[in-house]
Amino acid sequence: MNTVRVPSPLRDYTGGAARISASGTTVAEILANIDRDHRGMRFRMIDEQDRVRPHIRIFINQREVLSLDEAVAPRDEIHLICALSGG
Amino acid sequence: MALSANERERYSRHLLLPEIGEAGQEKLKAARVLVVGAGGLGSPASLYLAAAGIGTLGIVDHDRVDLSNLQRQLLFDTASVGAGKAVTARARLQALNNEINVVAHAVELRATNALELLGGYDCIVDGSDRLDTRYLVNDACVLLRRPLVSAAIHRFEGQAMTYIPGQGPCYRCLFPESSSAVAPNCAEAGVLGVLPGMLGALQATEAIKVLLGIGAPLVGRLMTFDALAMEWREFRFKRRTDCVVCGTAPSIKTLTDSEATCRTEITGKWPRFKPAELQQLLQSSGGAPAKTPLLVDVREQHEYATGHLAGSVNIPLGELGQRLPELPTDSAVVFICRSGRRSRTACELAARGGVRSVSDLEGGLIAWAAAIDPSIKVA
Repeated sequence: MNTVRVPSPLRDYTGGAARISASGTTVAEILANIDRDHRGMRFRMIDEQDRVRPHIRIFINQREVLSLDEAVAPRDEIHLICALSGG
Repeated sequence: MALSANERERYSRHLLLPEIGEAGQEKLKAARVLVVGAGGLGSPASLYLAAAGIGTLGIVDHDRVDLSNLQRQLLFDTASVGAGKAVTARARLQALNNEINVVAHAVELRATNALELLGGYDCIVDGSDRLDTRYLVNDACVLLRRPLVSAAIHRFEGQAMTYIPGQGPCYRCLFPESSSAVAPNCAEAGVLGVLPGMLGALQATEAIKVLLGIGAPLVGRLMTFDALAMEWREFRFKRRTDCVVCGTAPSIKTLTDSEATCRTEITGKWPRFKPAELQQLLQSSGGAPAKTPLLVDVREQHEYATGHLAGSVNIPLGELGQRLPELPTDSAVVFICRSGRRSRTACELAARGGVRSVSDLEGGLIAWAAAIDPSIKVA
Protein backbone atom coordinates (compact mmCIF):
# COMPACT_ATOMS: atom_id res chain seq x y z
CA MET A 1 0.00 0.00 0.00
CA ASN A 2 1.18 3.49 -0.83
CA THR A 3 0.25 6.65 0.95
CA VAL A 4 -1.35 9.25 -1.25
CA ARG A 5 -1.45 12.89 -0.12
CA VAL A 6 -4.62 14.64 -1.23
CA PRO A 7 -4.77 18.42 -1.75
CA SER A 8 -7.66 20.21 -0.09
CA PRO A 9 -9.55 20.98 -3.36
CA LEU A 10 -9.89 17.21 -3.93
CA ARG A 11 -10.80 16.22 -0.40
CA ASP A 12 -14.50 16.32 -1.16
CA TYR A 13 -13.85 12.92 -2.71
CA THR A 14 -12.06 11.47 0.32
CA GLY A 15 -14.47 12.53 3.02
CA GLY A 16 -12.04 15.25 4.02
CA ALA A 17 -9.06 12.90 4.40
CA ALA A 18 -5.69 14.50 3.63
CA ARG A 19 -4.04 11.13 3.13
CA ILE A 20 -5.43 7.92 1.74
CA SER A 21 -3.96 4.53 0.90
CA ALA A 22 -3.86 2.95 -2.54
CA SER A 23 -1.86 0.13 -4.03
CA GLY A 24 -0.25 -0.14 -7.44
CA THR A 25 3.05 -0.63 -9.18
CA THR A 26 2.60 2.36 -11.49
CA VAL A 27 1.06 5.80 -11.11
CA ALA A 28 -1.75 4.75 -13.46
CA GLU A 29 -2.61 1.73 -11.31
CA ILE A 30 -2.65 3.80 -8.17
CA LEU A 31 -4.96 6.38 -9.75
CA ALA A 32 -7.29 3.62 -10.94
CA ASN A 33 -7.41 2.17 -7.46
CA ILE A 34 -8.02 5.58 -5.94
CA ASP A 35 -11.00 5.96 -8.25
CA ARG A 36 -12.39 2.60 -7.16
CA ASP A 37 -12.57 3.83 -3.58
CA HIS A 38 -13.30 7.48 -4.36
CA ARG A 39 -15.41 7.57 -7.50
CA GLY A 40 -14.96 10.54 -9.78
CA MET A 41 -11.66 11.62 -8.24
CA ARG A 42 -9.51 10.35 -11.09
CA PHE A 43 -11.51 12.36 -13.61
CA ARG A 44 -10.72 15.53 -11.71
CA MET A 45 -7.01 14.80 -12.29
CA ILE A 46 -6.85 12.92 -15.60
CA ASP A 47 -8.66 13.85 -18.81
CA GLU A 48 -10.32 11.64 -21.41
CA GLN A 49 -7.01 11.23 -23.24
CA ASP A 50 -5.30 9.93 -20.09
CA ARG A 51 -3.33 13.12 -19.68
CA VAL A 52 -2.77 14.78 -16.34
CA ARG A 53 -4.97 17.86 -16.29
CA PRO A 54 -2.93 21.06 -16.58
CA HIS A 55 -3.85 22.36 -13.13
CA ILE A 56 -2.72 19.14 -11.46
CA ARG A 57 0.78 17.83 -10.82
CA ILE A 58 1.69 14.44 -9.44
CA PHE A 59 4.91 13.74 -7.57
CA ILE A 60 6.44 10.49 -6.34
CA ASN A 61 8.06 11.55 -3.13
CA GLN A 62 9.68 14.82 -4.33
CA ARG A 63 10.13 13.78 -7.95
CA GLU A 64 7.74 15.03 -10.60
CA VAL A 65 5.80 12.42 -12.55
CA LEU A 66 6.18 12.85 -16.30
CA SER A 67 4.31 9.70 -17.34
CA LEU A 68 1.50 7.75 -15.73
CA ASP A 69 3.47 4.60 -16.53
CA GLU A 70 6.19 5.54 -14.08
CA ALA A 71 6.92 2.80 -11.57
CA VAL A 72 5.96 3.22 -7.94
CA ALA A 73 7.88 1.38 -5.21
CA PRO A 74 6.00 -0.04 -2.22
CA ARG A 75 7.00 2.72 0.18
CA ASP A 76 6.81 5.63 -2.23
CA GLU A 77 4.52 8.44 -1.25
CA ILE A 78 2.33 9.93 -3.96
CA HIS A 79 1.62 13.65 -3.76
CA LEU A 80 -1.25 15.12 -5.71
CA ILE A 81 -0.80 18.85 -6.14
CA CYS A 82 -3.52 21.17 -7.35
CA ALA A 83 -3.14 24.76 -8.52
CA LEU A 84 -4.53 27.04 -5.81
CA SER A 85 -5.92 30.44 -6.57
CA GLY A 86 -6.62 32.07 -3.23
CA GLY A 87 -4.73 35.13 -2.19
CA MET B 1 21.77 55.29 -2.98
CA ALA B 2 23.34 56.23 0.35
CA LEU B 3 21.50 55.72 3.64
CA SER B 4 20.63 58.61 5.93
CA ALA B 5 21.37 58.53 9.65
CA ASN B 6 17.73 57.73 10.34
CA GLU B 7 17.80 54.87 7.87
CA ARG B 8 20.95 53.45 9.41
CA GLU B 9 19.18 53.30 12.73
CA ARG B 10 15.91 51.96 11.30
CA TYR B 11 17.67 49.17 9.41
CA SER B 12 20.42 48.55 11.98
CA ARG B 13 19.48 44.88 12.40
CA HIS B 14 19.85 44.39 8.66
CA LEU B 15 23.15 46.21 8.64
CA LEU B 16 24.48 43.70 11.17
CA LEU B 17 23.86 40.84 8.76
CA PRO B 18 26.86 40.20 6.53
CA GLU B 19 24.49 39.01 3.77
CA ILE B 20 22.83 42.45 3.71
CA GLY B 21 24.99 45.12 5.34
CA GLU B 22 25.03 48.73 4.15
CA ALA B 23 25.54 47.82 0.51
CA GLY B 24 22.57 45.43 0.57
CA GLN B 25 20.35 47.93 2.35
CA GLU B 26 21.24 50.51 -0.29
CA LYS B 27 20.21 47.99 -2.95
CA LEU B 28 16.84 47.55 -1.23
CA LYS B 29 16.45 51.32 -1.09
CA ALA B 30 17.04 51.53 -4.82
CA ALA B 31 14.70 48.61 -5.56
CA ARG B 32 11.19 48.81 -6.95
CA VAL B 33 8.77 46.00 -5.99
CA LEU B 34 5.16 45.62 -7.10
CA VAL B 35 2.73 43.64 -4.96
CA VAL B 36 -0.24 42.39 -6.99
CA GLY B 37 -3.29 42.18 -4.75
CA ALA B 38 -3.62 43.85 -1.35
CA GLY B 39 -5.27 40.80 0.16
CA GLY B 40 -4.31 38.03 2.54
CA LEU B 41 -0.92 37.48 0.92
CA GLY B 42 -0.31 41.05 -0.18
CA SER B 43 -0.86 42.38 3.35
CA PRO B 44 2.01 40.63 5.15
CA ALA B 45 4.20 40.71 2.05
CA SER B 46 3.87 44.46 1.62
CA LEU B 47 4.13 45.20 5.35
CA TYR B 48 7.43 43.31 5.59
CA LEU B 49 8.74 44.77 2.35
CA ALA B 50 7.92 48.28 3.54
CA ALA B 51 9.55 47.60 6.89
CA ALA B 52 12.59 46.17 5.10
CA GLY B 53 13.12 49.44 3.28
CA ILE B 54 12.17 48.65 -0.31
CA GLY B 55 12.62 52.12 -1.82
CA THR B 56 9.60 52.03 -4.11
CA LEU B 57 6.74 49.72 -3.24
CA GLY B 58 3.76 49.51 -5.60
CA ILE B 59 0.38 48.07 -4.63
CA VAL B 60 -2.11 47.16 -7.33
CA ASP B 61 -5.68 46.41 -6.31
CA HIS B 62 -8.93 47.84 -7.62
CA ASP B 63 -11.11 46.40 -4.87
CA ARG B 64 -12.55 47.91 -1.73
CA VAL B 65 -12.10 46.71 1.83
CA ASP B 66 -14.82 44.34 2.97
CA LEU B 67 -15.54 43.44 6.59
CA SER B 68 -14.82 39.79 5.77
CA ASN B 69 -11.26 40.78 4.70
CA LEU B 70 -10.24 41.79 8.21
CA GLN B 71 -9.87 38.18 9.42
CA ARG B 72 -6.57 38.02 7.49
CA GLN B 73 -5.77 41.22 5.62
CA LEU B 74 -3.71 43.06 8.20
CA LEU B 75 -3.19 46.16 6.09
CA PHE B 76 -6.70 47.20 7.00
CA ASP B 77 -8.76 47.85 10.10
CA THR B 78 -12.41 48.28 10.92
CA ALA B 79 -12.37 51.93 9.91
CA SER B 80 -11.08 50.92 6.45
CA VAL B 81 -14.23 49.01 5.49
CA GLY B 82 -15.61 50.40 2.25
CA ALA B 83 -12.43 52.30 1.38
CA GLY B 84 -10.27 51.59 -1.65
CA LYS B 85 -7.64 48.97 -0.89
CA ALA B 86 -4.71 50.41 -2.79
CA VAL B 87 -5.03 53.89 -1.30
CA THR B 88 -5.68 52.57 2.21
CA ALA B 89 -2.71 50.22 1.92
CA ARG B 90 -0.49 53.09 0.83
CA ALA B 91 -1.43 55.12 3.92
CA ARG B 92 -0.75 52.15 6.21
CA LEU B 93 2.60 51.30 4.61
CA GLN B 94 3.69 54.90 4.45
CA ALA B 95 2.88 55.24 8.16
CA LEU B 96 4.98 52.16 8.86
CA ASN B 97 7.95 53.54 6.93
CA ASN B 98 8.07 57.18 5.85
CA GLU B 99 11.50 56.69 4.29
CA ILE B 100 10.09 54.77 1.32
CA ASN B 101 7.81 55.69 -1.56
CA VAL B 102 4.56 53.71 -1.73
CA VAL B 103 2.61 53.89 -4.99
CA ALA B 104 -1.08 52.98 -5.10
CA HIS B 105 -2.37 51.54 -8.37
CA ALA B 106 -6.14 51.40 -7.91
CA VAL B 107 -6.72 49.64 -11.21
CA GLU B 108 -7.65 46.16 -12.33
CA LEU B 109 -4.66 44.38 -13.77
CA ARG B 110 -5.52 43.48 -17.35
CA ALA B 111 -3.71 42.52 -20.52
CA THR B 112 -3.94 46.13 -21.66
CA ASN B 113 -2.05 47.60 -18.69
CA ALA B 114 0.02 44.71 -17.28
CA LEU B 115 3.19 45.27 -19.28
CA GLU B 116 3.32 48.98 -18.57
CA LEU B 117 2.51 48.51 -14.89
CA LEU B 118 4.83 45.59 -14.17
CA GLY B 119 7.52 47.01 -16.42
CA GLY B 120 8.05 49.84 -13.96
CA TYR B 121 9.25 47.46 -11.25
CA ASP B 122 12.28 45.22 -10.61
CA CYS B 123 10.45 42.35 -8.92
CA ILE B 124 6.82 41.27 -8.78
CA VAL B 125 5.08 39.65 -5.80
CA ASP B 126 1.85 37.94 -6.81
CA GLY B 127 -0.80 37.64 -4.15
CA SER B 128 -3.83 37.83 -6.42
CA ASP B 129 -7.01 35.92 -5.75
CA ARG B 130 -7.72 34.68 -9.26
CA LEU B 131 -5.93 32.10 -11.35
CA ASP B 132 -6.52 34.17 -14.46
CA THR B 133 -4.59 37.04 -12.92
CA ARG B 134 -1.81 34.64 -11.87
CA TYR B 135 -1.31 33.59 -15.49
CA LEU B 136 -1.44 37.19 -16.67
CA VAL B 137 1.22 38.19 -14.12
CA ASN B 138 3.38 35.17 -14.95
CA ASP B 139 3.21 35.82 -18.68
CA ALA B 140 3.98 39.51 -18.21
CA CYS B 141 6.99 38.66 -16.01
CA VAL B 142 8.32 36.23 -18.62
CA LEU B 143 7.85 38.73 -21.45
CA LEU B 144 9.38 41.56 -19.40
CA ARG B 145 12.08 39.30 -17.90
CA ARG B 146 11.14 40.26 -14.36
CA PRO B 147 11.49 37.98 -11.32
CA LEU B 148 8.19 36.78 -9.89
CA VAL B 149 7.46 35.51 -6.40
CA SER B 150 4.16 33.68 -6.53
CA ALA B 151 2.05 32.20 -3.74
CA ALA B 152 -1.51 30.94 -3.34
CA ILE B 153 -3.66 29.65 -0.50
CA HIS B 154 -6.72 27.46 0.02
CA ARG B 155 -8.33 26.57 3.35
CA PHE B 156 -5.31 25.34 5.39
CA GLU B 157 -2.88 24.91 2.48
CA GLY B 158 -0.48 27.18 0.72
CA GLN B 159 2.03 26.94 -2.10
CA ALA B 160 4.82 29.20 -3.33
CA MET B 161 7.46 29.36 -6.02
CA THR B 162 9.85 31.90 -7.50
CA TYR B 163 10.59 32.56 -11.16
CA ILE B 164 13.84 34.19 -12.19
CA PRO B 165 14.24 34.76 -15.94
CA GLY B 166 16.81 32.48 -17.48
CA GLN B 167 17.34 30.52 -14.28
CA GLY B 168 14.39 28.15 -14.08
CA PRO B 169 10.76 27.30 -14.80
CA CYS B 170 7.85 29.72 -14.73
CA TYR B 171 4.40 29.25 -13.21
CA ARG B 172 3.07 27.84 -16.48
CA CYS B 173 5.82 25.19 -16.43
CA LEU B 174 4.26 24.01 -13.18
CA PHE B 175 0.60 24.42 -14.08
CA PRO B 176 0.36 25.00 -17.85
CA GLU B 177 -3.24 26.05 -17.78
CA SER B 178 -6.15 26.38 -15.47
CA SER B 179 -9.26 28.34 -14.81
CA SER B 180 -10.88 29.74 -11.75
CA ALA B 181 -13.70 27.27 -12.31
CA VAL B 182 -11.50 24.44 -10.99
CA ALA B 183 -9.70 26.34 -8.26
CA PRO B 184 -11.99 28.07 -5.83
CA ASN B 185 -10.74 31.24 -4.17
CA CYS B 186 -10.86 32.18 -0.50
CA ALA B 187 -14.35 33.68 -0.76
CA GLU B 188 -15.71 30.36 -1.99
CA ALA B 189 -13.61 27.80 -0.14
CA GLY B 190 -12.68 29.61 3.07
CA VAL B 191 -9.20 30.10 4.46
CA LEU B 192 -7.51 30.07 7.84
CA GLY B 193 -6.77 33.72 8.55
CA VAL B 194 -3.21 33.07 9.71
CA LEU B 195 -2.31 31.02 6.63
CA PRO B 196 -1.61 33.93 4.22
CA GLY B 197 0.57 35.40 6.96
CA MET B 198 2.89 32.42 6.61
CA LEU B 199 2.98 32.49 2.83
CA GLY B 200 3.04 36.28 2.49
CA ALA B 201 6.04 36.50 4.82
CA LEU B 202 7.71 33.82 2.70
CA GLN B 203 7.08 35.94 -0.40
CA ALA B 204 8.67 39.01 1.20
CA THR B 205 11.68 36.87 2.16
CA GLU B 206 12.02 35.58 -1.38
CA ALA B 207 11.73 39.06 -2.90
CA ILE B 208 14.48 40.40 -0.63
CA LYS B 209 16.72 37.42 -1.49
CA VAL B 210 16.12 37.90 -5.21
CA LEU B 211 16.86 41.64 -5.03
CA LEU B 212 20.05 41.07 -3.06
CA GLY B 213 21.11 37.94 -4.93
CA ILE B 214 21.57 36.00 -1.70
CA GLY B 215 20.60 32.51 -0.59
CA ALA B 216 18.74 29.93 -2.65
CA PRO B 217 15.41 31.20 -3.92
CA LEU B 218 12.55 28.84 -4.75
CA VAL B 219 13.55 28.50 -8.39
CA GLY B 220 12.33 25.18 -9.77
CA ARG B 221 11.05 24.36 -6.32
CA LEU B 222 7.40 24.32 -5.31
CA MET B 223 7.06 24.86 -1.59
CA THR B 224 3.82 23.65 -0.06
CA PHE B 225 2.51 24.23 3.43
CA ASP B 226 -0.17 22.32 5.31
CA ALA B 227 -1.17 24.23 8.44
CA LEU B 228 -3.21 21.35 9.88
CA ALA B 229 -0.31 18.89 9.64
CA MET B 230 2.17 21.77 10.18
CA GLU B 231 4.25 20.43 7.32
CA TRP B 232 6.37 22.26 4.76
CA ARG B 233 7.24 20.21 1.69
CA GLU B 234 9.33 20.89 -1.35
CA PHE B 235 8.83 19.51 -4.85
CA ARG B 236 11.30 19.95 -7.67
CA PHE B 237 10.07 20.74 -11.15
CA LYS B 238 11.79 21.67 -14.37
CA ARG B 239 11.31 24.20 -17.12
CA ARG B 240 9.16 22.75 -19.88
CA THR B 241 10.67 23.17 -23.30
CA ASP B 242 7.11 23.20 -24.64
CA CYS B 243 5.96 25.90 -22.20
CA VAL B 244 3.73 28.26 -24.16
CA VAL B 245 5.36 31.35 -22.68
CA CYS B 246 8.94 30.49 -21.59
CA GLY B 247 9.58 27.41 -23.77
CA THR B 248 11.77 27.15 -26.82
CA ALA B 249 8.98 28.09 -29.23
CA PRO B 250 6.52 30.16 -27.19
CA SER B 251 3.08 30.85 -28.60
CA ILE B 252 2.38 33.62 -26.09
CA LYS B 253 4.18 36.69 -27.34
CA THR B 254 1.70 39.32 -26.27
CA LEU B 255 -0.81 39.43 -23.46
CA THR B 256 -4.49 38.74 -23.81
CA ASP B 257 -7.12 38.54 -21.12
CA SER B 258 -8.25 35.00 -20.44
CA GLU B 259 -11.73 33.91 -21.38
CA ALA B 260 -12.58 33.77 -17.71
CA THR B 261 -11.49 37.37 -17.19
CA CYS B 262 -13.67 38.42 -20.08
CA ARG B 263 -16.46 36.25 -18.78
CA THR B 264 -16.61 38.24 -15.56
CA GLU B 265 -17.80 41.13 -17.66
CA ILE B 266 -20.67 39.21 -19.14
CA THR B 267 -21.97 37.27 -16.19
CA GLY B 268 -25.27 39.01 -16.76
CA LYS B 269 -25.56 37.50 -20.21
CA TRP B 270 -27.56 34.52 -19.04
CA PRO B 271 -30.43 34.80 -16.58
CA ARG B 272 -29.99 33.54 -13.06
CA PHE B 273 -32.86 32.32 -10.97
CA LYS B 274 -32.97 32.98 -7.28
CA PRO B 275 -34.19 29.88 -5.42
CA ALA B 276 -37.70 31.28 -4.92
CA GLU B 277 -37.92 32.25 -8.59
CA LEU B 278 -36.92 28.78 -9.74
CA GLN B 279 -39.38 27.19 -7.35
CA GLN B 280 -42.13 29.40 -8.76
CA LEU B 281 -41.15 28.51 -12.32
CA LEU B 282 -41.23 24.79 -11.57
CA GLN B 283 -44.59 25.06 -9.83
CA SER B 284 -46.17 27.19 -12.57
CA SER B 285 -45.09 24.81 -15.29
CA GLY B 286 -47.17 22.13 -13.59
CA GLY B 287 -44.98 19.42 -15.01
CA ALA B 288 -46.02 20.13 -18.60
CA PRO B 289 -43.07 18.98 -20.70
CA ALA B 290 -43.17 21.98 -23.01
CA LYS B 291 -43.03 24.42 -20.12
CA THR B 292 -40.83 22.57 -17.67
CA PRO B 293 -37.15 23.47 -17.92
CA LEU B 294 -34.62 20.69 -17.88
CA LEU B 295 -32.70 20.87 -14.61
CA VAL B 296 -29.09 19.83 -15.19
CA ASP B 297 -26.95 19.30 -12.11
CA VAL B 298 -23.32 19.80 -13.18
CA ARG B 299 -21.70 18.60 -9.98
CA GLU B 300 -19.73 15.38 -9.73
CA GLN B 301 -21.60 12.10 -9.37
CA HIS B 302 -20.86 11.69 -5.69
CA GLU B 303 -22.13 15.18 -4.93
CA TYR B 304 -25.30 14.47 -6.87
CA ALA B 305 -25.74 11.18 -5.02
CA THR B 306 -25.62 12.97 -1.67
CA GLY B 307 -28.59 15.12 -2.55
CA HIS B 308 -30.17 16.81 -5.55
CA LEU B 309 -33.29 18.53 -6.81
CA ALA B 310 -36.08 16.17 -7.77
CA GLY B 311 -36.29 15.80 -11.52
CA SER B 312 -32.76 17.01 -12.19
CA VAL B 313 -30.32 15.04 -14.31
CA ASN B 314 -26.62 14.78 -13.56
CA ILE B 315 -24.03 15.80 -16.15
CA PRO B 316 -20.75 16.67 -14.40
CA LEU B 317 -19.21 19.86 -15.75
CA GLY B 318 -16.17 17.98 -17.02
CA GLU B 319 -18.44 15.85 -19.24
CA LEU B 320 -20.74 18.60 -20.40
CA GLY B 321 -18.82 19.44 -23.56
CA GLN B 322 -19.17 15.90 -24.85
CA ARG B 323 -22.73 15.44 -23.69
CA LEU B 324 -24.22 18.63 -25.10
CA PRO B 325 -26.27 16.61 -27.62
CA GLU B 326 -28.28 15.31 -24.65
CA LEU B 327 -29.58 18.82 -23.99
CA PRO B 328 -32.69 20.14 -25.70
CA THR B 329 -32.15 23.00 -28.11
CA ASP B 330 -35.79 24.04 -28.15
CA SER B 331 -36.63 24.28 -24.44
CA ALA B 332 -35.06 25.88 -21.40
CA VAL B 333 -32.16 24.41 -19.48
CA VAL B 334 -31.36 25.44 -15.91
CA PHE B 335 -27.93 24.48 -14.65
CA ILE B 336 -27.42 23.75 -10.99
CA CYS B 337 -24.27 23.24 -8.95
CA ARG B 338 -23.17 23.62 -5.37
CA SER B 339 -22.63 27.37 -5.11
CA GLY B 340 -23.48 28.81 -8.52
CA ARG B 341 -19.95 28.92 -9.91
CA ARG B 342 -19.74 25.79 -12.05
CA SER B 343 -23.26 26.45 -13.32
CA ARG B 344 -22.05 29.76 -14.83
CA THR B 345 -19.36 27.94 -16.73
CA ALA B 346 -21.97 25.43 -17.84
CA CYS B 347 -24.14 28.25 -19.18
CA GLU B 348 -21.30 29.46 -21.34
CA LEU B 349 -20.43 25.98 -22.60
CA ALA B 350 -24.02 25.17 -23.47
CA ALA B 351 -24.68 28.52 -25.11
CA ARG B 352 -21.60 28.06 -27.27
CA GLY B 353 -22.81 24.59 -28.10
CA GLY B 354 -26.08 25.90 -29.50
CA VAL B 355 -28.45 25.48 -26.55
CA ARG B 356 -30.74 28.47 -26.96
CA SER B 357 -32.20 29.02 -23.53
CA VAL B 358 -29.70 28.61 -20.72
CA SER B 359 -29.88 29.87 -17.17
CA ASP B 360 -28.71 28.77 -13.76
CA LEU B 361 -29.57 28.73 -10.09
CA GLU B 362 -27.95 31.65 -8.28
CA GLY B 363 -26.11 30.47 -5.19
CA GLY B 364 -26.56 26.86 -6.23
CA LEU B 365 -27.95 24.15 -4.01
CA ILE B 366 -26.52 25.82 -0.93
CA ALA B 367 -28.86 28.74 -1.54
CA TRP B 368 -31.72 26.37 -2.39
CA ALA B 369 -31.23 24.48 0.88
CA ALA B 370 -31.12 27.73 2.84
CA ALA B 371 -34.18 29.31 1.23
CA ILE B 372 -36.45 26.48 0.08
CA ASP B 373 -35.63 23.03 1.34
CA PRO B 374 -33.33 22.62 4.36
CA SER B 375 -33.71 18.85 4.14
CA ILE B 376 -31.66 18.63 0.97
CA LYS B 377 -28.11 17.47 1.65
CA VAL B 378 -25.35 19.36 -0.14
CA ALA B 379 -22.01 17.56 -0.45
